[in-house]
Amino acid sequence: MSDTTVKMRDIAKDLLDKGTVHYIIGWEKGRFSNQSPPAFITSAAHADRLIWDEYCLASTAKYLLDDKFPAGKIGIFARGCDARAINRLIQDGQINRENIYIVGICCSGMKDPATGNTADKCQHCTHPNPIVYDILIGDPVPETDKPERFKAIEELEKLSPDEKHAYWSKQFEKCIRCYACRNVCPACNCRECFVDQYRVGWQGKQNNLAENQLFGLTRAYHIADRCIECGECARACPMDLPLMELNRKLIKDINQLFGPYEASLDTETTPPLAKYHLKDLEEFM
Amino acid sequence: MDVIEEQQWEPKILAFCCNWCAYSGADLAGLNRMKYPENIRILRVPCSARVNPQFILRAFQKGADGVLVAGCHPGDCHYATGNYYTRRRFQVMKRLLEYSGIDPRRFQAKWVSGAEADKFRATVTKLCEDVKAIGPSRKLGGSK
Amino acid sequence: MKTIAKSRINEALAILAKESKLLVPMKVNGISKYAPWGSEGTIQFEEVNTLLPPKDTLFPHTEKMYSYKIANQEITELNIHDDSAPQILFGVRPCDMQSIKCMDDVFLTKSYVDDFYKNKREKLITICIGCTKTAPTCFCDSMGVDPSRHEAADVQMYDLGDSYGIEAQTEAGQTVVNKLQELMEDQAGDPTAVSCTLKVDASGIPAKLSTMFEHPIWKEISRKCIGCGTCTYLCPTCYCFDMETTNNGNEGYRFRCWDSCMFSEYSRMAGGHNPRPSKNERIRNRFLHKLEFFNERYGKNLCVGCGRCIAKCPVNVDITLFIDKLKEVAADEPV
Repeated sequence: MSDTTVKMRDIAKDLLDKGTVHYIIGWEKGRFSNQSPPAFITSAAHADRLIWDEYCLASTAKYLLDDKFPAGKIGIFARGCDARAINRLIQDGQINRENIYIVGICCSGMKDPATGNTADKCQHCTHPNPIVYDILIGDPVPETDKPERFKAIEELEKLSPDEKHAYWSKQFEKCIRCYACRNVCPACNCRECFVDQYRVGWQGKQNNLAENQLFGLTRAYHIADRCIECGECARACPMDLPLMELNRKLIKDINQLFGPYEASLDTETTPPLAKYHLKDLEEFM
Repeated sequence: MDVIEEQQWEPKILAFCCNWCAYSGADLAGLNRMKYPENIRILRVPCSARVNPQFILRAFQKGADGVLVAGCHPGDCHYATGNYYTRRRFQVMKRLLEYSGIDPRRFQAKWVSGAEADKFRATVTKLCEDVKAIGPSRKLGGSK
Repeated sequence: MKTIAKSRINEALAILAKESKLLVPMKVNGISKYAPWGSEGTIQFEEVNTLLPPKDTLFPHTEKMYSYKIANQEITELNIHDDSAPQILFGVRPCDMQSIKCMDDVFLTKSYVDDFYKNKREKLITICIGCTKTAPTCFCDSMGVDPSRHEAADVQMYDLGDSYGIEAQTEAGQTVVNKLQELMEDQAGDPTAVSCTLKVDASGIPAKLSTMFEHPIWKEISRKCIGCGTCTYLCPTCYCFDMETTNNGNEGYRFRCWDSCMFSEYSRMAGGHNPRPSKNERIRNRFLHKLEFFNERYGKNLCVGCGRCIAKCPVNVDITLFIDKLKEVAADEPV
């Protein structure tokens, strides 16, 4: 890992000195050793703040939305999940590929700061190597099949409707509507989110089970075919809601109904719910 | 719920009907004096693709016991392609509803053409019977 | 001092729960919070602090203010809600006790008294337990809070190992202590003094910040903030709220609910103008409120050093690192 850190710093210094990028987004150490939050390096003198270790969990891609019309190029360090997130933002028409300079990093997985084990979000990662980049750091990590990807969902599907309802009610009762899940999600990039339109009537501001469930289910549905399975939502949630169990359920169904599909592997493939086939499966209509 | 309330309970079913086919089908059913349950409240939309899955969630939240989405048969959409999206959308939505614990019999999506008055009658009657058998929807509970 | 053996604490709780709603630190569905004793969950007295602060005892997440029914354009029913009832908050830590003092300042002083808060506050009895250990994220003693006790609590308890020392500090507290007489013993024992491992130098901060409104430091620290409400909703002292009405045809209710100044639409006005359009202004507002404005208005910090925001921020925005940085930068020079 420290080899990558050295390379990161060198590349950052080079890009900033030459003026190829205006600033570069990476990671630096927080106060505690198990924290490596995002860092914004604006000059070569600060490049030594950059770090690559097993706690670089936060995604860097979403910050590109803060600067949609940058004065110069924006540099960004991107692992596999970040690269897919960047593709997601490009495909959703939120940023321009020409405005960013992607330094890809091959990632073998991050650790959960609380336990030191492999982070939940990295457990089912199928694309550890960035699929889009301008230059690449690190040796490619072998891509393995993840047969457990839908295991938790299959377990939940076996429950009776009342048990399922009880399970999800328990979870959504915990929700404090902080919207951390929405704010970290690269697929949640609407300029005005439906929850902010509370005069219109979509979503009330009250915190109760009904409104919390409405928020959770609606957000899951809104991102259904665009979710890149980065797991940031579940990581950011302060109440440990199992959000990926909702998102992956939708992905599983979409795979089953409309053919195998993974979001944002490129910027051309239309997401399944935005297109149709004349011979689509019709189960009950 | 006490016995008297239970005996008096009638399901509330919200039916989103597309203007060109399903609504006309319902209209034809009325013209032909076909009897179908009064529990149905019809909401006319220009196309079944107008129905936002959030409407379904909101309906259940606000007290609907069952929801029906009815549109033109694929290939016959007045706007050419709307109901193809409806088809994909509501298959996914139905599974999501089921996964969150709502009985799958509460939500139906059906194709009803302008001439299929009887299909409309049969669909809503069956939906009403199914929902009556299950009982009132207490899930995604009211925002009260 | 008078003590109650830890093995008998359940009996004490049973006595207290007889006449009031008793709230204790519990783990409910995996989240630690203050919940009614006897409800589903596991009691946790040994943890340093709960994740969710006890502020919802006095200032609920969502609170109905009034409800109404209308018929023929006349109001047939109008109820102003008062959900207050006698409550005992058992096991509150000194940092959270300090936060209750801050909330008292906001809701009960300076010419406007918030009845919804007042009704609950008058019926609340606080039983504080001093800390004998601290979490890596605790820094209360740098923010003027003594981790071992708080003088504003009705009853002060001390963790003495096998037992809890117990002292009434107010009249209301004495009533509670009287109820527990039969469980109390006399024991010699001094609570272990404890101090936080995380230290910051918070002296002179308000004065320095008052000159730094346009300083570039705000842009630097706000860049990684994602604008969620995690810090505000976990903070024991955040008290901003929104008021909305829900209408269902002929009936409805007005409610207030927590709001967060980190949300972009928090300060958006009719017409679309937003005096805090970016994260820059919003983070500045948050830290100035905690460290300067509240000091100027009420003479105390609004940050009590509980460390919950540091523990749970998804991108590790850290108020202690900010205070450290504040000490380094010159007020009028660029970062």
